[in-house]
Amino acid sequence: MDAKYIGKATPRVDGRKVVTGRAEYTHDVRLKDMLFGMILRSPHAAAEVVSVDLAQAKALPGVLAALSLAEGRVRYAGQQVAAVAAVDERTAEKALGLIKVDYKVLPSVVEWEKAREPGAPQVREAKPNVEKFSEAARGDVEKGLKEADAVIERTYRTAFEVHNPAETHASVAAWEGERLTVYDSTQNVHGVRDGLARALKVPAAGITVIKHYMGGGFGSKLGLGEHTVVAALLAREAGRPVRVALSRRENGMCVGYRPSSFQTYKAGIKKDGTLTALSLVNYASGGIDYGDEVLEPAVDLYRIPNVKVEEFSVFTNTGAGCACRAPGNTQGMFGLEGLMDELAAAIGMDPLEVRRKNYTTRSQGDTGLPYSTKGLDLCYAAGAKAIGWERRNRRPGEGSGPVRRGIGMSSSLWWGTGVPGTLADIVLYPDGSVEVVSGTQDIGTGTRTHMAVVAAETLGLEPKDIVVNVGSSDYPWAPASGGSVTTPSVAPAVREAALKAVARLKQVAAGKLKAKAEDVLMDGRRFFVKGAEDKPVAWADVCRSLRRETVFHGEAAAYPQDQYAFNTFGAHFAEVEVDLETGKVRVLRYVAAQDSGRIINRQTAESQVVGGITQGLSAALFEERVLDSATGRSVNPNLRDYKIATSLDIPEIEVIFVDVVDERLNILGAKGLGEPARIPSSAAVGNAVFNAIGVHVREIPMTPKRVLEALKRKEAGS
Amino acid sequence: MDKKPVRKTPGGVSRRDFIKGVGTGALGTAVLPRLFAQDAIATKKGRVPVFDSKAVTLTVNGSPKTLTVAANETLLDVLRNRLELAGAKKVCDRGECGGCTVLLDGVPVYACMFLAVRADGRSVTTVEGLARGGKLHPVQEAFVENDGYQCGFCTPGFLMTTAAFLEKNPSPTADEIRQALSGNLCRCGNYAKITKAVAAAAKMKGA
Amino acid sequence: MREFRIAQPRTVEELAALLAETKESVALMAGGTDLIDMLKSGVAAPDLVVDLQGVEGLAGIAPGKDGLRIGPLTRVAALAADPAVVRDFPILKEAALSLATPQLRNVGTVGGNLCQRPRCWYFRDPEVACRKKGGMRCFAMRGRNKYHAVLGGGGCFIVHPSDLAPALISLGAAVTVASARGEKSLPLEDFYRLPSVDVTRETSLGRDEFLKDVFVPAPKPGQKGAYVKLKERGTWDFAVASAAVSGVVKGGVASEIAIVAGGIAPVPWRMKAAEEILRGKPVTEALAARAAAAALKEASPLAENAYKLELAAAAVKRAVLALL
Repeated sequence: MDAKYIGKATPRVDGRKVVTGRAEYTHDVRLKDMLFGMILRSPHAAAEVVSVDLAQAKALPGVLAALSLAEGRVRYAGQQVAAVAAVDERTAEKALGLIKVDYKVLPSVVEWEKAREPGAPQVREAKPNVEKFSEAARGDVEKGLKEADAVIERTYRTAFEVHNPAETHASVAAWEGERLTVYDSTQNVHGVRDGLARALKVPAAGITVIKHYMGGGFGSKLGLGEHTVVAALLAREAGRPVRVALSRRENGMCVGYRPSSFQTYKAGIKKDGTLTALSLVNYASGGIDYGDEVLEPAVDLYRIPNVKVEEFSVFTNTGAGCACRAPGNTQGMFGLEGLMDELAAAIGMDPLEVRRKNYTTRSQGDTGLPYSTKGLDLCYAAGAKAIGWERRNRRPGEGSGPVRRGIGMSSSLWWGTGVPGTLADIVLYPDGSVEVVSGTQDIGTGTRTHMAVVAAETLGLEPKDIVVNVGSSDYPWAPASGGSVTTPSVAPAVREAALKAVARLKQVAAGKLKAKAEDVLMDGRRFFVKGAEDKPVAWADVCRSLRRETVFHGEAAAYPQDQYAFNTFGAHFAEVEVDLETGKVRVLRYVAAQDSGRIINRQTAESQVVGGITQGLSAALFEERVLDSATGRSVNPNLRDYKIATSLDIPEIEVIFVDVVDERLNILGAKGLGEPARIPSSAAVGNAVFNAIGVHVREIPMTPKRVLEALKRKEAGS
Repeated sequence: MDKKPVRKTPGGVSRRDFIKGVGTGALGTAVLPRLFAQDAIATKKGRVPVFDSKAVTLTVNGSPKTLTVAANETLLDVLRNRLELAGAKKVCDRGECGGCTVLLDGVPVYACMFLAVRADGRSVTTVEGLARGGKLHPVQEAFVENDGYQCGFCTPGFLMTTAAFLEKNPSPTADEIRQALSGNLCRCGNYAKITKAVAAAAKMKGA
Repeated sequence: MREFRIAQPRTVEELAALLAETKESVALMAGGTDLIDMLKSGVAAPDLVVDLQGVEGLAGIAPGKDGLRIGPLTRVAALAADPAVVRDFPILKEAALSLATPQLRNVGTVGGNLCQRPRCWYFRDPEVACRKKGGMRCFAMRGRNKYHAVLGGGGCFIVHPSDLAPALISLGAAVTVASARGEKSLPLEDFYRLPSVDVTRETSLGRDEFLKDVFVPAPKPGQKGAYVKLKERGTWDFAVASAAVSGVVKGGVASEIAIVAGGIAPVPWRMKAAEEILRGKPVTEALAARAAAAALKEASPLAENAYKLELAAAAVKRAVLALL
């Protein structure tokens, strides 16, 4: 594609709004007569709610609504029990203190390890605490292990990682008669609308959900939140708009987290690096809800003839987990890629060679289809070159001295190939202005800008000329901004709509030029016939002739999933330094190579990758929700003890796109990127630490405590 | 906020306080709540001013604002809820993230951890006051050009920290930049690009 | 945040009189960066917040012949930038710049840092009634305790979070505590109290008392110091273990040395056993390690914090070696 904007770096079209503080986030919405809603939450991990007495709260001056939200049984500390709406936050806070709840405390279990034990308190009625929720098998693992020259068994653990978006979950609900408008900090305006319709039993047609700007979600804002329903119910009772914005503390307790994993692998490898068999048993914990499936990398990434996976969810009396940037694959990749490095060490082979040796151009999953495109090998080569792979320790831990250096890497595998049926409109106005509209949402990834880039490129304009409207459920349907689907869904739809607009403009211009539409060329706001560039008609004149605004519909087309496997790939390389005395890990340098098809906007794409690396580094070294074992209450529902990487924890980062365009996937050959950039980052850091110290920590976050424990394990020779 | 009943003896107001009130140019009704909301605790060493709310004058982005604030109101809440300046964000509300960083007499502070009454008589600059006459501050321009943010929620805090930092240190090293930004969290994890943006802003300002 | 009233005394005399005479429950606010957290959560619930900001004479640094007088209301940022501090007590600058963030150092004060409350996550949870808040038990002892005390606990396993305190104690700093009853000076080391003395408080400050100044004796010829702070994040983290060492080393031999550890005990932990091992001997890595081990001999870690012993040993060793 000979492109002016697509694939280049374009600053965000709405940058000015954001840097002047005028971008409207849900937190900033202040409607006339708006009340402040707050939610009372259970202090108990398990209890029967015997009664909720709202009388005193309702009697407090300034309180305009109070609701009981109790549904008989409370299953985790932090579960909603009642709510109030008042004229200001302080009054609402006071009113919460006046609600009398009578609990009958029940036995509870907080740690998943304990929930597995016989006789542990049962979390769900009539169901055991352990439930198999995922399995896969091919070949004969026992046979495969016998064929191996080396067999190892390893357990890798990942922690409860809290999304902690900068903007806490928040909704503002306002009724006008039966019509409901909700401003919501959400990744999914259409989904929230449909969810509200079901929850409130009102027609979806009468609900509008708006999200202009959002302070991060990372998967925790993919669906209807309980607090959103609460805002709508309080607003209905009070007859005034109600804002419910969760506190940081609530955010750390009751709106989800990345479920933990406990992955035990047994795998065999031949001396030449051929993998012969792999078994995986995973215990995932997502509190009262299911954990994440981690099997995808194990099942799909390498050519392994014999594979068996069993995954179990362990239920506990803690809040429900939810999707967190690349759910499942992130945990699974930490396990699988750690295992690959330990297998490579077992046979004394370069870990990257082991990966290449077992490379596959066909999906190893159920379909066995060939990948439409797969640039993972290119990522390996580009990343290895950029990091200086040859500088790594040939034998993990072979360096000397109190501070050790190491280099490690990890692959990435994800979907992120788009949702057919995604809609976008181009609107041409008689004054020559152009609007692009879609019911998608820009969650900080730069969706507005990539839409403007695609529209401008196609229409021969500049991105700043395009008015972009997103973030309302009244706009044409688009999927939730999750799963890395936004760009491959929305960009092709915009492209299609814009191509239709161009065709129409050329037709109108042809009339003016007295030529055939197919002979008309468009360039730089002018239309002309080839060879007669000096006799153009202007963009403005052509648009004026449309007489009214004209809408062109675009829709993301289906792709041949029955013939090809479509995936995104990447390879991350990290260089670290480990202080053997203090267990402190520092990441010194980082290279990410991504295959996400055609890059639409290099500027924001680069940011996505930088963010994926940083979050993965942060999770690898610092992040962990800590629960009190007895009460099930989080002891770090804040940003002090729940530690997120700072500017001083970040290495030099290099981002590489290998630019493999997948023409079969969509008309732009674009794929998703947000999650592919997160999946390998904790794993790459983990493997770099292994390369540095000669023992895999096998558990994130790799805090000083765990690094020192791993070093002891090495000393003990296990 | 609760209104305290009017005291019969307005003894808590010293002459100095009154003159200070006049000095702000905020005569008339704006001064009255201060007179009535204020009181004093009599001690052997004199009367110690005490109040549960107080009329304060803040110079916000260059314009004086006089309003009565409660003792327990933070500067952040006053900016966001009372002065319609939503630029500074409430992210953690505990001085653990930097999203509410504003400049107090030119010095970056967390507005969520600063009682509004203590800002009386001082100047406050928020992100809304960074651009002048429609022209972006170089720091703002550099953040846009270098994609120094993702979701943008922490950005006002980063911008304020950076603006004050570059005033003190116009040509910083990469490490000094990281140190200067170490009190602002970016959950999207865009530090690598933010530091680039700050370096670019330094160049732009120098040019 | 719940309601409270604010008192703004203007002089030390007014402040002393107010604290002596008021019947209300009182909290002193210096920078407020710690107190506001507790006011918001409800862990602190005073009727009256006494704003020290306007009290004349409490802020500022005054270098003198015999040493440095630091007003408790001096901002941490000002301490770190003070020419006399930079010249004579670089360890103080190091400690100051290791704490919190630029923004917090712009507001937080020296006195506030010395008197801050512990960050124990059970203590900071408003719904937990632990012993420090007048409850019956310590929740950390059998709960989650990776950041808790390995030394000096017993009934309460907080660690003292201050970075300035270990540095100041190593320098032999004294504080003046004032009240309407008069003034007294005491070594900063003695200002702190173990939970076994009074579990609800970390210092000896009485309810009518306040910190009036901090005094650091002039450096001896050849005096050096180092502060080593080990933490999980690169910044914005309390010490998992830290060590402040000040002393005079001549020809590789420590003639005088003071070692104080932070982050491992409910008070800044003076390591006299380590000092004795080092004093008068050539400082080597092995000797420093032996000294650290001796100082930590009495430690009794909890279920999740034994690793802190290694970190504390490393911090002490590194700080000692930094004197060379």
